Amino acid sequence: MSYKRRSTRSTKTGRKREKWTDIFPRYLTFISHMRPILRETRRLISDLDPDLLLDTEVLDKIREEEEKRNIRKVRALSEFSAMYRSNVYEIIKDFIIKYRENIPIIDIKDYIIEFLYESISALNILRHITNPDEINLENTYLYSLTKFLEERLFPRGTNLKIIYEKLLEFSVDFYECQRHILQPHTYYREKLEVEDLFEIPGLSPKVYQIINNITSLFNLDPNFGLLPENANYEVPMILKNDVFLPYIDSIANAEEEAIEKICERIGLRVIDDLFIAPNENFLEILLDNNFIRSNKQSDGKIRYLPQFSNETLILYYLAFSSQRRGFLSKELLNWISLNFSFLIYMGILKWKLSDENIFYSIFKDLQTNEKVLPYLMKLICFPNYLGLDKMKIRDSVQYRKEIFNFIGSQIDNLKDLIVEVALYCEKFEKERKYN
Amino acid sequence: MIERKNRTWNELLISFEKGLSIAIEKVKDRDVENIPGAKNALIQRLENIKQYFPQNDGALFIKAINEKIQNAFFPSTKNFARAFESILKSRTHEQDFIINELLNGFVTSKVKAIATGSQAPIIDRMVEAFSKRNDFHIVDYQFYAMFGDPNKPRHYIKKQLDELVNMFGLVSRELIINKDVRRSEEKTYTFYTFPDEIIKILQEKYLILDDKLGYAYVSESFDRNVFICMFLANIAVNFDDLDKIGGAYTVNGISAIFALILLLSFMPKLNLDETNPILNEPAFDQGSMSVIPKSWMMKQVLEPLFEPLIKIIAYRLGGGLWLSKIIDSEINKKIHNQIRFLLKDVNKWILGELVRVEIPIFVEIANIFTEIAVGYDEN
Repeated sequence: MSYKRRSTRSTKTGRKREKWTDIFPRYLTFISHMRPILRETRRLISDLDPDLLLDTEVLDKIREEEEKRNIRKVRALSEFSAMYRSNVYEIIKDFIIKYRENIPIIDIKDYIIEFLYESISALNILRHITNPDEINLENTYLYSLTKFLEERLFPRGTNLKIIYEKLLEFSVDFYECQRHILQPHTYYREKLEVEDLFEIPGLSPKVYQIINNITSLFNLDPNFGLLPENANYEVPMILKNDVFLPYIDSIANAEEEAIEKICERIGLRVIDDLFIAPNENFLEILLDNNFIRSNKQSDGKIRYLPQFSNETLILYYLAFSSQRRGFLSKELLNWISLNFSFLIYMGILKWKLSDENIFYSIFKDLQTNEKVLPYLMKLICFPNYLGLDKMKIRDSVQYRKEIFNFIGSQIDNLKDLIVEVALYCEKFEKERKYN
Repeated sequence: MIERKNRTWNELLISFEKGLSIAIEKVKDRDVENIPGAKNALIQRLENIKQYFPQNDGALFIKAINEKIQNAFFPSTKNFARAFESILKSRTHEQDFIINELLNGFVTSKVKAIATGSQAPIIDRMVEAFSKRNDFHIVDYQFYAMFGDPNKPRHYIKKQLDELVNMFGLVSRELIINKDVRRSEEKTYTFYTFPDEIIKILQEKYLILDDKLGYAYVSESFDRNVFICMFLANIAVNFDDLDKIGGAYTVNGISAIFALILLLSFMPKLNLDETNPILNEPAFDQGSMSVIPKSWMMKQVLEPLFEPLIKIIAYRLGGGLWLSKIIDSEINKKIHNQIRFLLKDVNKWILGELVRVEIPIFVEIANIFTEIAVGYDEN
């Protein structure tokens, strides 16, 4: 008889479906280690005679003493704490060295304390962004900020038309942000079409260029053909070949082969493998928003004349992705949730930290970002928030670096949105207090 | 020699005139304009160009290209730092907007040929890489991470890295580590930065050197246009050495971009009826934008118009050498065709109409045209 131990695992190996109660404590882990370091530093600086600050060795000694008190058992945490503390002290030292000849040291001390105070209050908001049981959901920062952004960039609606019109409403101010969240930086991993399943990939630069070509060709000189569903109407059509004419050396071969799928995502369809024309549902949206006008011909037929704007097709892509948010590709899903979490994070910082705060760089540092944002990304994916498949959020450190490297390269419009989020935070806090 | 120069220049002017005649015929043939009078305004403008441009040995071209394009973007000097400074000084926010839009499209496709797989805005990533460090350097490994394809081995990009560095005129410095931590082997890191004389120029506004701490931070003003200025300065200084500026590809691309700018400047502003829905569009700002005819963008019109114009630009900017590199091939025609689609945000589509953002370069070139046209009329 064999006494080999049998595995007690009954499920297949692989990733477990993580619950809210698994992710939320992980999100808090690093934040709850940053705050005490800043508070302790503030207390120490506050108690220190200003003149002692002039000698930077004093700060080094204080840091050394502080590091001795480190009792963390988990290596990752103690390493992070050491790194974080050393960054904080380095920044303080640099600030003192830089300004000690121009600003009285007592003022420098006040500045440092003020900056630390701001940073602590930002961390305080991040710490209480929501609660473990999701009680009183609508009163939490995470919920209200996600909904604030969702309304502008990735709205929900009972049908495509409603979503499209919501997007159009905010496109005046935030079109570039709307376009930005459709364009993942890891587009090179995307497949334009997957044979066996319905999946919506992000917008690669080349597909974006092709959509621009299509817009221009519709506006310039379209052909007209009968609407397949109703012979009394004529719809604008462009030649598929014209779209790909400028591309040499087969550089757009993949796009040409997947043109049907691309068209589907921008409200168009391929007719007879020759022409590209709007589909019936999109026609209704186009008409309602003045992107097409009708003209009665002498033969009694109604001809639809296109008058597209830059955003006409791109917003359809976004509305289409929003409506079918359960089918987003891994890259697009990671990119959208990353941008949402980044906007929330930066919005809170913008609200709490003054622009000249010397600790901004720590918050924006990749090492800090990768400790906070991945968990925020997952929290945002839960059904009460964006309702995305959080199982598609990648956990690989390499991947995080790959995508986090580019969140800093902000477009100006994204900065405007961060300011809007900060203003909303202020308003929201007032309302909360009032209630 | 002078005779040959004159002959070439005259031939170019004649071919432009011919191109204009074909374009006018094509515009007359079809009407794609929605705004009443737009087609006539375009025909009138093309007729005017045909009448005034060849006069006085193409003085209008010479003025527009030499004064407004060459002085601002390709100053006549062999000193790289001086060229860079001159281009940097002539920049304005609005100007940045369009040059950036057009050149970024070009540079990205150029870099794509260098860094395979990279379609994203290359210059933005360069700015980001320099902004992240406090020594105003970037290291080769950052480059690999930025431009390499993670699915392909790294050596794939190593050889092409030098070309990218050359394109922006960056300089490299090596750091040799006797024993690296991981394998205890000798390792060489290559750092890239701007040449010293450029750093001096950047110090005024774009770079903050902290002598006490030994740091070099980029300021808020440091942006992609600093790289574009480097790129243009490199072309200005080495215009007669094609190997240093990226060969025929660059010559064709740059000439086509500036031909497009010239063409856009020539387009007449259209008067809109007060009931036109564009006027109610929030994206349309009447103060800074104007609706222009769109027929010129039709392939049939653009082709005969664009090709001679590209040659004229090439000849004025780079002489016979550049002109000889403008190839009349089908492939080039396709590339030129693609360039008209570079217009995205600067010249937008609003409700089916082409809208030009009135930035200084368009206004200045258009003014030259108006001044000279009025002058000829008076005479």
